[in-house]
Amino acid sequence: MSTATPSAHAHAEGGHTPFLQHHFREMSQQFDAAKIGMWLFLVTEVLLFGGLFVGYGIMHARHPEAFVAAHHHLDKTMGALNTVVLLVSSFTMVLSVWAAQTSRKKLLVIFLLLTLACAGTFMVVKYFEYSHKFHEGLLPGKYYSHKGDTVPGQFLFFSFYFMMTGLHGIHVLLGMAAIAWLVWRALHGHFSAEYYSPVEITGLYWHLVDLIWIYLFPLMYLIS
Amino acid sequence: MAHANEHAHPVTGPKTYAMVLLALLVLTVITVQASYFDFGPWNTVVALLIASAKGSLVALFFMHLRHDKFNAVIFVGGLLFLAIFLIWTLFDIANRQPVLPSNLKTPVQEFPGAPLGGPVRPSTGQPRGAPAQ
Repeated sequence: MSTATPSAHAHAEGGHTPFLQHHFREMSQQFDAAKIGMWLFLVTEVLLFGGLFVGYGIMHARHPEAFVAAHHHLDKTMGALNTVVLLVSSFTMVLSVWAAQTSRKKLLVIFLLLTLACAGTFMVVKYFEYSHKFHEGLLPGKYYSHKGDTVPGQFLFFSFYFMMTGLHGIHVLLGMAAIAWLVWRALHGHFSAEYYSPVEITGLYWHLVDLIWIYLFPLMYLIS
Repeated sequence: MAHANEHAHPVTGPKTYAMVLLALLVLTVITVQASYFDFGPWNTVVALLIASAKGSLVALFFMHLRHDKFNAVIFVGGLLFLAIFLIWTLFDIANRQPVLPSNLKTPVQEFPGAPLGGPVRPSTGQPRGAPAQ
């Protein structure tokens, strides 16, 4: 297998990569430890968003008419577009991991930049959606000022909409910062088949952000 | 083999990932189309089932969980606790008696515009007994 060759070679020379921390026995141990840490963090993220999903479930069950009426203010096309953009970004992210695993250093930079571009597109679409809602007064809680509603209580939906998509948007921005850092390191040639833990665990984080959007999209845009 | 553990992370190629992306895009089209059909009370269930199919593809392939049993246990364990949280809460919602103002010390307005005093229909804020909108 191509992944094993460069690593075995380095060890045969008795050399250690500068990226092996002294408290780890070998690269694979360091890699597995980093991955477990990331997965534990992702579980806390699932529970963080989980609280919001449960709150959404309670309010949707109590005020179904208000939620259905409010969701008509969202643009399904924009939501579907953002879903496709995020799915493609997950695809380019996993290809960056593949490029790192197989030491394709140029492709790694290209795929990371493509991921960054998709993430940027997602935020731009989100910006247009948000500014439309600010303009219409479709705001959370007491700031809701949309006129001419026939169904009361629609502000409840927008409280969840802004909390959940807002928190998700913050995660996208943090993911973009992490990917930009990966680009910088990849340009310095840090990543190869032997050492790519940062690419792998940033990828895991990015896929979780995608995973959360996969649930947000039908719950926000496609209620009927 | 001295470095057998290097083989513990098999490399999946771009072709597999492209197939997964294609499946995800098809499922996105299906979920949008499904939202135009009325399955009655099953609407949300159908949407969540399709979302879970997409989520499983992302977790198994993009997040490499199909080659990573240990972390899969961690992740599914977290999802299990989320499921307990969600399902037990929904049991409570489904079986809760309506809040009657006669049981409260002070009148409660559910949200601005909701009538005070009489029992209200929580979904609409209109008095109970009034025809549903």
